[in-house]
Order: sequence, then structure tokens, then C-alpha cells
Amino acid sequence: MWLLGVVVKFGGPAAALDEDTVSRLARGDHDALAELYDRHARLMYSLALRIVGRQADAEDVLQEVFSQAWRQAARYDASRGSVGGWLVTLTRSRALDRLRRARSEPQAAPDEMIAADIPDEAPAADRQLVTEQQASQVRAALDALPDGQRIPLELAYYEGLSQSAIANRLNVPLGTIKTRMRQALLRLREALAGEVR
Amino acid sequence: MTSQPESHDVLRERAALHAIGALTAPEREAFESHLKVCADCAAEVAAFLPVGIALAQVVPLHDPPPSVRERVLADARGQPASPRVTRAFVPWLATAAMFLLTVGLGFYVGQLRDRVRSLEVRLRDALVRLDDGERRVAVALRAAAAAEAPLAVLTAPDLQRIDLAGQPPAPRASARAFWSRSRGLVLTGSNLPPLPAGRVYQLWFVTAQAPISAGLLKPDEAGRLSAVLDTPADLPTPVALAVTLEPEGGRPAPTGDQYLVGLTQ
Repeated sequence: MWLLGVVVKFGGPAAALDEDTVSRLARGDHDALAELYDRHARLMYSLALRIVGRQADAEDVLQEVFSQAWRQAARYDASRGSVGGWLVTLTRSRALDRLRRARSEPQAAPDEMIAADIPDEAPAADRQLVTEQQASQVRAALDALPDGQRIPLELAYYEGLSQSAIANRLNVPLGTIKTRMRQALLRLREALAGEVR
Repeated sequence: MTSQPESHDVLRERAALHAIGALTAPEREAFESHLKVCADCAAEVAAFLPVGIALAQVVPLHDPPPSVRERVLADARGQPASPRVTRAFVPWLATAAMFLLTVGLGFYVGQLRDRVRSLEVRLRDALVRLDDGERRVAVALRAAAAAEAPLAVLTAPDLQRIDLAGQPPAPRASARAFWSRSRGLVLTGSNLPPLPAGRVYQLWFVTAQAPISAGLLKPDEAGRLSAVLDTPADLPTPVALAVTLEPEGGRPAPTGDQYLVGLTQ
């Protein structure tokens, strides 16, 4: 698991500070919540806004996630990921929930058309925030992707659509979508790894 | 028919999608079962997990409004979140508001309808009372006018007194008239015989041309007369007043016996 060693480097002092803050959060320290908010709310809000598209919904998502973090701080397990990764994962999950509720009304979409959240049972020790530089590299790689690869990936990640749903929406064969998405993810992984090689 | 188990290659292709949360629930369930027994796929997932996080970090950055921080902290303190009306709640609020408005309006309309009914009833009562009041006022005015009429006559500058004497059908009867051409005539009398059925006394201004009716008279049970009458229009100068017995309703010209007669001055 060479990656684990790499990930440890991603953590650093900020991650340690976050873990201490969450420990205080678990003891009901309100100042800890304010600190956590000040460190992560901007990214969480931006992600929520990218997904739900409406400022008011994004605000609600942000409030929901911090409320959940406040209630569940004692259950946070540092071995499963950084605090930042945890908060971002919760944010995406809540935002997609809201998006799906809005989208599926009045008729619920079938299960096979909806992508699941980021898995909780995955080896979450790798769920760390990347550095600013890595994020820039991934952003550049994403922008450089052909539309045929970028758009399906964005639909999957920011709209929570399954590959079948993406194929339907783009009117492209499912096999093509699978291939393009895998190619896109490989490109992004390469861009990310470029920093740590 | 039992479905064929998916090949490892097919499952492994899902690792990257699983890492970024892009599998459907059935796909995810099947893949996670496989993950428990496949270190290769677990490593593949781990390799793509940072990509999933990085995708969250490449979004355009925006600062949340300061009010959200306040709400988050207030929420944690167990205090009621600050009241807010966000656009996200506008449809819900609008629906709720419309519902409440509809219920409220319905209730209000019901109240208005009851109120209108009540007012209509009161208005009808008021109109009835008004009619009754107007009638009472009219009666009072007439009574007042009637009361004032003799006084007006008696104070008239052109007042004449005319004494009427009983005639053969009623030798004990007598009457006195005060007449003003401008204001009318006041007549009092006594000892008039009771009226036969279907008969009435009629007063006449006797002029050089012809007798002109001044009105009908009915004595009380004691044979007393009391009447206030207008002066007939265009009355020629009368030479006398006379009372005759006439059929009910009177006659344009005297037909019956004279009961009282008095000469003007």
C-alpha cells in the first residue's frame, strides 16, 4: 500500500490540528466548532453550491453537515480519513441527496439510475484533502479533458448520475461512457500522482 | 435462470467509480462484497479515492454568507436558529402561505357572510323602525298641524264669527264657526241629533251662486261637534253657513234637511 505512505504526507500539521479540534468538538466545545467552520466552510460551501446550484440550498447543506459533525464528532475515526476529507465527503453526500430529492420530484428515480455516495466502507485512510498544488493540477487536467470524457465524469461526480443515466442523457452507448469515464479518471489520477512521484 | 457472476475484470473496472461514489446502489453492494475478498480491487479503490476528494476541491471557491456561520453556531448551542427565509424555502413557504391564506380567507369570507346577513337583518329592522318612525312623525305632524290649525284660524286677521242656530229637525242644536278665508274654519257645536245609519252631516258655504261643501261632520255620542276645515278654493263670498243631513260620503250639493244655519257678517 504505497499510497498510504503518500497520504500520510498529505495530512501534516493541519490534519493534526483538525483532529484535535474534532476531539474538542466531541466534548461539546463550541469554539472548536467555530474553528472547524472557519477552516473548512469555504470549500464545503463551494462544493455544495457546485452540486445544488442554488445559494440557499448550499447554505442549508453547509448547516446540515456542521450539525451532523457536531452531533457525530465522537464517532469520528481518524484512521478512516482526515477531518477535511470527512467533511467534504459528508458535504457531497448531503448535497447530492438534496439534488436528487429536487430532481426526483414528483416521481422517484429508479435505483439503477442513481449513483451511490462515496463508500463509507472503503479504505478511508486515503480520504484526505489534497494540497492546493495538487488541486490545481487536477483542475488543469480536468479542464484539459475532451468533453466526451469530462462531461460524463462531471455528471457522475457533481450530479450523482449513474453511467446508465449519463448514457441516456448524452445519447451515447453505455460501453462508451464507461470507457471514457475510466480514461478520465486515469488522467486525473496521473495528474494527482505527478505531485507525489 | 441464475445470472452469471461478473468477471473480475468487470468488477475491477468499477473500482474507480466506487472511489468517486459513482456506482448505483446495486453495483456498489455487489462490488463491496467483492472488495472483502479482493486485495487487488481494494488497492485500486484506494488509488482512486484521492481523485474523488480532489474533484471536490477543484470547484470554483465561494465564501458562504456570514449568516450561515451564525446559524451553525447557534444551532450547536441548542438555540433556535435565527429566523430565515431563504429562496430554497420560498416554494414551501409560498405553498404554506397560500394554504393559510386560503383557509384564512375562507374563514374571513364566512365571517363576512355572517356579518352581511346580520347587517341585512339589522337593516331591515332599521327600515321597519324608520317606516314606523316616519309614520309616527307624520301622525305627530298632522296632530301638531291639527292642533295649531284652530289657533292659526282664531288668530287670523280676517277672522269672522258665525253663529249657527238649530233648525226644525234639531231645534236645540247650535254651533259657532270662526272662519278666515286665508286660514280655514273652526266649528264647534252641541246638541246635534245622533246620525242615522248611513248618514252624515255636511257643512256648506252658502254663496250667491250655489252652496259649496266645506266638509263632513260627525258629532260625538253627546251630540258635540268639533272640526277644523279648510276654506274651499275659489270660494265666492259666502252669505251663510248651513249644516244638512246627507247620505254617507256627502253630496256635491245639499239634498237633505237643514239642521243648522248661520248668516255671515
